[in-house]
Amino acid sequence: MPAVTLIDAVNMALAYELAHDKDVVLFGEDVGVNGGVFRATQGLQEKFGKDRVIDSPLAESMIAGLAVGMAAQGMKPVAEIQFLGFIFSALDQTFSHAARMRHRTRGRITQPMVIRAPFGGGIHAPEHHSESTEALFAHIPGLKVVIPSNPTRAYGLMLAAIRDPDPVIFLEPKRIYRIVKHEVEDTGEAYPLEVCYVEREGTDITLISWGAMMHETLIAAEKLAEKGISAEVIDVATVSPIDMDTILESVAKTGRALIVQEAPKRGAVGSEIAASIAEKGIMHLLAPIGRVSGYDTVMPYYRLEKKYLPTVDRILNEAQDLMEYA
Amino acid sequence: MKVFNLPDLGEGLPDATIVRWLVNEGDKLSVDQPMVEMETAKAVVEVPSPFEGVVSELKGQAGDVIQVGDTLVIFNQNASEQKPEPTEEINKVKNNKVTANTAKETKQIFYLPDLGEGLQDAEVVRWLKSTNDDVKVDEPLVEMETDKAVVEVPSPYSGVITKLYGEPGELIRVGSALVEFNGENNVPAAEPQEEDAGTVVGAVEVGHQVTREPSSALVKALARKLRVDLSSVQGTGKNGAITQNDVKAASEKRTASLQKPTESVSTDRHTHLTSTQEPLNYRASPAVRALARKLGVNLANCETSGKKGSITQEDVKACHQKLSTTSRTPQLSTATLSPSKPVSQGLPDVTISPESLRGARRAMAVAMTKAQQQVCLTTLVDDANIHFWKGKNNPTVRLIRAVAQGCLKEPALNAWFDGEKLERLVHPHVHIGIAVDMPDGLYVPVIRHAERKTAAEIRFDLNHLIEKIQNKTIRPEDMANPTITLSNFGTIAGQYATPVVLPPQVAIIGAGSFKEHLKLTSKGIENQKHIPLSLSFDHRACTGGEAARCLKSIMEDLSLPE
Repeated sequence: MPAVTLIDAVNMALAYELAHDKDVVLFGEDVGVNGGVFRATQGLQEKFGKDRVIDSPLAESMIAGLAVGMAAQGMKPVAEIQFLGFIFSALDQTFSHAARMRHRTRGRITQPMVIRAPFGGGIHAPEHHSESTEALFAHIPGLKVVIPSNPTRAYGLMLAAIRDPDPVIFLEPKRIYRIVKHEVEDTGEAYPLEVCYVEREGTDITLISWGAMMHETLIAAEKLAEKGISAEVIDVATVSPIDMDTILESVAKTGRALIVQEAPKRGAVGSEIAASIAEKGIMHLLAPIGRVSGYDTVMPYYRLEKKYLPTVDRILNEAQDLMEYA
Repeated sequence: MKVFNLPDLGEGLPDATIVRWLVNEGDKLSVDQPMVEMETAKAVVEVPSPFEGVVSELKGQAGDVIQVGDTLVIFNQNASEQKPEPTEEINKVKNNKVTANTAKETKQIFYLPDLGEGLQDAEVVRWLKSTNDDVKVDEPLVEMETDKAVVEVPSPYSGVITKLYGEPGELIRVGSALVEFNGENNVPAAEPQEEDAGTVVGAVEVGHQVTREPSSALVKALARKLRVDLSSVQGTGKNGAITQNDVKAASEKRTASLQKPTESVSTDRHTHLTSTQEPLNYRASPAVRALARKLGVNLANCETSGKKGSITQEDVKACHQKLSTTSRTPQLSTATLSPSKPVSQGLPDVTISPESLRGARRAMAVAMTKAQQQVCLTTLVDDANIHFWKGKNNPTVRLIRAVAQGCLKEPALNAWFDGEKLERLVHPHVHIGIAVDMPDGLYVPVIRHAERKTAAEIRFDLNHLIEKIQNKTIRPEDMANPTITLSNFGTIAGQYATPVVLPPQVAIIGAGSFKEHLKLTSKGIENQKHIPLSLSFDHRACTGGEAARCLKSIMEDLSLPE
């Protein structure tokens, strides 16, 4: 089994699906000849041809519109938005059409499309390249928002996203594109969407995270274990719709919930999770619901981005605070 | 002669193209000095010199493809892999002592860094510094214009500028020299050159750790998705581990068999909610939990009168009151009472689940366990003749008065006892605890100063206390610190008993159902009414004689007509 990075796993999944489903088409800025700015689509145009891996003009609205049209005609487009920060001109097509098509046509036409986009900070990129705006998409009914946190899951979830009959926003945490390698077998086996993955079991506190912050969260869980605190770690994976059952079950067991996210605190996916825990699980809480997140400010330029991103220490401090409640 | 061959560039790349040479034949190079820019399939990299020495030959020109392992540079014979001789270095440090104590002075060249977004070059707009200026790290050096914007380029070094490359209006390629410094070598140079991270924007951190994700995560997630109860799945994996296929098979089997999927899910949910951590067995809001902590109340002892079986603040307060009556036994020993897990193992397999004891019932269990462990119980029984009672006598009121009289006659029974310190406190007043049976357990309110109360006063007090219990308004102080206890179980059934003495008290009187004895009197045979009495006492604190004398005076008082 090859040891692959998260970005390699994305490439593997795309290649597998291109090879096994003739309806799958890739397009986006630089995805063809260049192989994508991060090399997610490296070698795919050579292998599958210019008809299936297409370099698009620099026009995000068109990219999303093209996907909507192809999907309506039964193809399975996988569109890349080069950075999530460039997606805003594509939101009209995404929100007003992709998300609503099944509803609008009473289920006659669905949108089996995927919009891929690298997102998040931590790679010293310029303005517009580092935001975590997953909550924008999570708020829109009709869209699924999927964020992998490691290579194995990136492979399985990407396959599931392409095979899903409805539009999936697939956000790739680029900071951890190459941070670890997993041995991933290219079996074409999809992972289930709309469920959380319990990454680590524990009894004292539930740490809930997704995407790149899973990296820090797992390190924090390890350090908490050294202090005798047993942390359960949940990778939300599909941030919309959220599998609250897994989270609530864990919180009922531990009595404490700490949400770790890179996005600004306000109106975020973490807010939704916290609200749902309060709504359905408050009777099991031993402590307030904790949140470690980015700050409610514009994502800073790269000299300051390390100060913005949640750190292992911030997670540890908050977790230990919560442990002080009986 | 030393030969430098193109090293393995990683990621399985077989060759690289020369972009441009940064040195010339005849140049004297230092270790790590960039020699050449090479382009691989992924990026342009600078190749540093492995030797200190003079270049005798450069193999190839810009545009040539060099295979990994092929010769790239030939150095002359004196080239070495060593850094400069230590003596030389010491001299250098000495020479620069005035300006830098610990760092040697060297030339530093600042090359135009990657400006991001795939931009290849930038134009000098204007220099903000000139040669011989002393600059600090991060001070702006120059304004450069790219295709996208004018940016200020900050200095990566502290030191004196010795040369500026390029005039305003000139284009500088990324990677070309921009500024030369005479600076402190120990100031960290800009970002260390990352291994190819496959991006033209920013720097993706590259790790080499190979890990594997826990397979249980996927299995659990899949079970959630397919609504399979993992506890009912037989694992076929290693060591009986449940595999993905097991979950899928279970899911298929279930859909094939009778359709009752949702029902099984909802019950699972409930069993899962039971926990390893005790406080979570109880539904209580954080505010209620905070109150329980403040009052020192264990949630296990509380009623669950709230919505969906949750514990309310009132439940916690009520529990606090009850506990403080039973546990407030001041001055006297705090012998630990651990009812050692009452229902730990071995409960027979029954269809209804055991209930966890709460409230008054739980307090009783704890108190009786303590009594059983400590008290040396002895019980004395006799019948008190009440044949001669006149008019309306309330038996309970008469019993209370009689017990008070007995206590006055024999104070040893109206005492508290500490078995650890071997101390005895004989009370001058008689506070009689009255055992009251309620559906939710045993309550023991106290009649104060029974020895100086009239029958009417006692009756008033008694009715008042019982009313409070029924209304659940009884307060802890109403039940605190009895000196002796009366249990009038005979109002229900039973004649004699072995009532249990509750420490620190030393005696308890039980009164049974009335009974009739045939007595031979001057008037012939008479059927006379009696109250069977059982006096239990702690033989550690009282003698048998004291107990018998006490019982005798109780019987005497009871036999009075009024």
